[in-house]
Amino acid sequence: MFIVDTDVHNYWSSAEVLLPYLEPYWRDFLVRGEKPGPTGSFPHGHRPWLHPEGFSRHDIKPQTEEDNYLIMKEKHLDLYDIDVAILTADEPLEASTLANYHYANALVSAYNDYMIDWWLPKDKRFKGSIIVSPTDPHGAAAEIRRLGGHKDIVQVLASHGSQRPYGDPFYHPIFEACAEVGLPFAIHFGGQGGVNHNAVASGPTAYYWETHALLSQPAMTHVVSMISNGVFEKYPELYFIVIECGVSWVPSLMWRLDANFKALRKETPWLKMLPSEYCRRNVRFSTQPLEQPQNVKHLWETLEHMDGQNTLLFASDYPHWDFDAPTNLHIPPAWREKVMGLNALDVYKRIEAPAASARVA
Amino acid sequence: MKPAVSAAWTYACKVAEVTIGQPKIATFGRMSVGIFQLGDGYAALLNICPHRAGLLCEGPICGTTRQTDKTEFVYERAGELVRCAWHGWEFDIRSGKCLVDDRLKARTFPVHLDGEDLYVELGR
Repeated sequence: MFIVDTDVHNYWSSAEVLLPYLEPYWRDFLVRGEKPGPTGSFPHGHRPWLHPEGFSRHDIKPQTEEDNYLIMKEKHLDLYDIDVAILTADEPLEASTLANYHYANALVSAYNDYMIDWWLPKDKRFKGSIIVSPTDPHGAAAEIRRLGGHKDIVQVLASHGSQRPYGDPFYHPIFEACAEVGLPFAIHFGGQGGVNHNAVASGPTAYYWETHALLSQPAMTHVVSMISNGVFEKYPELYFIVIECGVSWVPSLMWRLDANFKALRKETPWLKMLPSEYCRRNVRFSTQPLEQPQNVKHLWETLEHMDGQNTLLFASDYPHWDFDAPTNLHIPPAWREKVMGLNALDVYKRIEAPAASARVA
Repeated sequence: MKPAVSAAWTYACKVAEVTIGQPKIATFGRMSVGIFQLGDGYAALLNICPHRAGLLCEGPICGTTRQTDKTEFVYERAGELVRCAWHGWEFDIRSGKCLVDDRLKARTFPVHLDGEDLYVELGR
């Protein structure tokens, strides 16, 4: 089966891999400047929830930078016969937490160059994401235009933690650039510290597991905001991809949005369709972490209400603690081929369709 | 190799290869089994987590907090639990039972000590 894994984290052992890709001024920042941990840690404002067991699977133990690839190859890409792995970085997403947006821009640019230089040539299965820091939308747009033409770059990616809902016109320069270069805009769970202080509604929770269970909260806000602010009228071809924010909340939110819109459409006269129709047309959701009810049929019925057969994209989140293996993803068997790989072809235009695939239009 | 004491026993490893907190992952054909030393003997678990088929025996060996009636943290059972390497679910090494749901049980195998050799009963 053709498998596109839309969330594969390409770890580093030390953020100092970025040094050759930083301008001298910013290199001094990374070498001599304050860091949130020892040498090799990535500058960011850390979230107030500390994972009590660490993020990574305990069977992944890289000793060298090269191991980060070799272990991924052995324990993931080869083991599950993954056809395409979309690299979603890891710590670089946290640049969005820094108040100094110039530094954030420098760090993500260095990461993007490092990823293109070090990771993409290693394996023909790799596709890259341009990481941007949303704190400076014009800087982010410049980065998208700088690298957006690369044949193996398939999306623009930012953290789901942000200072404002992503539909806010403040962020539209990012979407304008995405539309210009023909790339989707994706958000991934993260960036919940520093300047992004409102990652949990009603204020900070105490425990890591409760916070992780609420990872859908900012995603809900972003999806609603993108729709209501008319992003998908302005950029009708733009795909908005929501990665690692759960999925089963989508139908109930759309039911509520459609009902409210029918009553109060006049607030947003630029919208020409129901909110759920924009969601269906322009928004895609990665499966991981797929909810796990006692009776899987309850999940499947919920997913039907969001046309999950066509709107879900498989993601493993390798190598994190809440990883979903491709062989153990509880989705309806009839959807499997589409969710595991074919749906991704609709969204990621630069991924080549498998030769044997008889894609039905 | 020394012949198995019982026909039902399969040689797993030398005693020296297993220490408290450091299990041996032994392979029998296509089957991977974790051999653990505990304070009072040995135990073996299939290296497949009943939750999502993760590498159960390759996670940290640890204790946990006792269920309490007030807000306190009583650390107990140190060395008696293994936390699945993938998703971190806690399992009792002796019984194979998952702490939060004892209907979820990892497959266990009896372990036998003969001199410097450890054997497991795979058939049970």
